[in-house]
Amino acid sequence: MKLFQYLLRIDRKIIFVAMAVLVMFPLLRPLGLGVSSGPRARALFEAVDAIPAGKTLLISVDFDPSSMPELYPMLVALMRHAFAKNVKVLLCGLWVTGAGLADEAVTTVPPEFGKKYGEDVVYLGWKAGVDAVILGMGESIRNVFPTDYYGHSLDSLPMMAEVQKLRDIPLVVAISAGDPGYRDWLLYAQSRYGMRVGAGVTAVSAADVYPYLQSGQLTGLLAGMKGGAEYEVMVQKAGYSKAYMPAVAAMDSQSLAHVVIMVLVVIGNVAFFATRKRREA
Amino acid sequence: MHVSHSVLTWVAAALTLGIFSFLWKDNPFYKFCEHLFVGVSVGYTISLTWYNSVYPDLVTPLFRQGQLLYAIPFVLGLCYFCRFIPKVSWLVRFPMAFVLGWASGVAIPAFFQTNIIKQIQGTLLTPGIFSRWDVFLWALISFIGVICSVFYFFFSREHKGALKLASETGIIFLMVGFGASFGYTVMARMSLLIGRMQFLLRDWLGVIR
Repeated sequence: MKLFQYLLRIDRKIIFVAMAVLVMFPLLRPLGLGVSSGPRARALFEAVDAIPAGKTLLISVDFDPSSMPELYPMLVALMRHAFAKNVKVLLCGLWVTGAGLADEAVTTVPPEFGKKYGEDVVYLGWKAGVDAVILGMGESIRNVFPTDYYGHSLDSLPMMAEVQKLRDIPLVVAISAGDPGYRDWLLYAQSRYGMRVGAGVTAVSAADVYPYLQSGQLTGLLAGMKGGAEYEVMVQKAGYSKAYMPAVAAMDSQSLAHVVIMVLVVIGNVAFFATRKRREA
Repeated sequence: MHVSHSVLTWVAAALTLGIFSFLWKDNPFYKFCEHLFVGVSVGYTISLTWYNSVYPDLVTPLFRQGQLLYAIPFVLGLCYFCRFIPKVSWLVRFPMAFVLGWASGVAIPAFFQTNIIKQIQGTLLTPGIFSRWDVFLWALISFIGVICSVFYFFFSREHKGALKLASETGIIFLMVGFGASFGYTVMARMSLLIGRMQFLLRDWLGVIR
C-alpha cells in the first residue's frame, strides 16, 4: 500500500526528466524498430505516384513552426516524391506564419533533384482570406496571385503557362495544423471544383479527419509524425530518394515514449483504485 | 560532436531551453522567451499581411493605378477602425454585415455539401460495401456507431428499454472516439518534444546525424 501511495505522489519533475532521457536515448542510439506503411498513407502515395510526369501537384502549406516537427517531414517527402517522378510542384499557404517554412523547403529540396525554380517548382506565397483565395484560384490563379512569393510575375515563370486554375491540377495535398487547412480545401476546391484532395495533419486533429477519408472525400491521409515517417519509408523503398529521414529517425523515441506513458497510465490507475478505500475511510 | 558555429542556432537553442525551463517552474527567462515569441509572431504576421495582401491588393491598385472600384473595400476596411471612436462606432456594422453576408452565402452551400450530404452518403449502407467482407464489416460498424451515438444525444425521451441499449452502445463508440483523440494528442505532444530534441542534439550540439 505504501508503494502505491508513493507512486501517486511522484513529483512531476521526475517524470519530465525520465521522459526527456527516454526520448533522447533512441536519438543517440537508434533502436531500429522500423516503420510499416498503413493503407491511408499508401493511398496518398499512390495518388501522387499516379500523377503523370509534367503535370503539377499543389501542396498547401497550412502550418507554422509550432507544428513543424510533425508536418515539415511530410512536406519534404512529398516534394521529393514529386520531383523524382518529374511532377512539378506548386506551393501556396493559408497560414501566414508558415510562409517561411515553405520558402525553406523550396530552397533546399529542388536542388537535390536538379530542379529549377520557375520551371519545376513555384511558390505562390500567402494571401489573406481563405475562402476567397481558394475560390479565386478555381477561376484564375493569376488573379489571386499576380506574383509569386519572391515577387516574380507568374507570366514570367514557364511552369505557370500550363497551370491557369485549379482544374489544371490533378491533386492538392493540404498539410495542415488546424484551421484554415484541409477542411477549406474540401469545402471549396473539392465540393465546388471537384479536385482530388489529400491531407497531412497533426496527430491532434487526425481523429477528426477519418470521417472525410471513409466518405471518399479525402484521397489519402498522413497522420502526425507517424504519417510522415510512413511516407518517407515509401519514398525511400521506391528508390526515389536516399536522403535523411527525420520522421523515421524520431519514431523510435515516439514508440518508447508511448510505452512509458502507457505504463504510467496503468500504474496511476492501479495505484488510484488500490488506495481509494483508504482515502474514503 | 560538431557544435554549431551559427549565432542564430545558439539563440534558438537558448530560447528552446528558456521555454523548457517552465517545466521546472515559472521564471523570468521563460517569460522573456514567451513574450519574444508572441511579439515576433505578431510582427511577422503584420509585415507579411502588409507586403503580401494589403499593399499589392489594395494600395497599388487604388493609389498607384487609380482603380477607383477599390475605394469600396478601402472605405469598408476603414470602418472597422470606427470601433475606437464612440460617436461613429456604429459604422463598424457595415463591413461586418458585408463579411457575414458574403461568407455565409459562400460557406453554407459548401459546408452543407461537404459536411452533411457527403457524410450521410458515407454512413449509408450502399451496395458497394458488399465488395469485400472487411469493407462490409467496417461500414456496418460505422453505421451502428453513428446511429447509436446520435441516440445518446436524444434527450426528449427517457433512456430506457431499446433507447437505453442504443444510447449505452453509443457511449462505447463515443469513448472509443475520445480515446483515439487522446492517444493522438499524446503522440502530437511527444512529436513536438522529439522535434526540439532533434534540434538540440543535431543542429546545435551535432551529436546525432
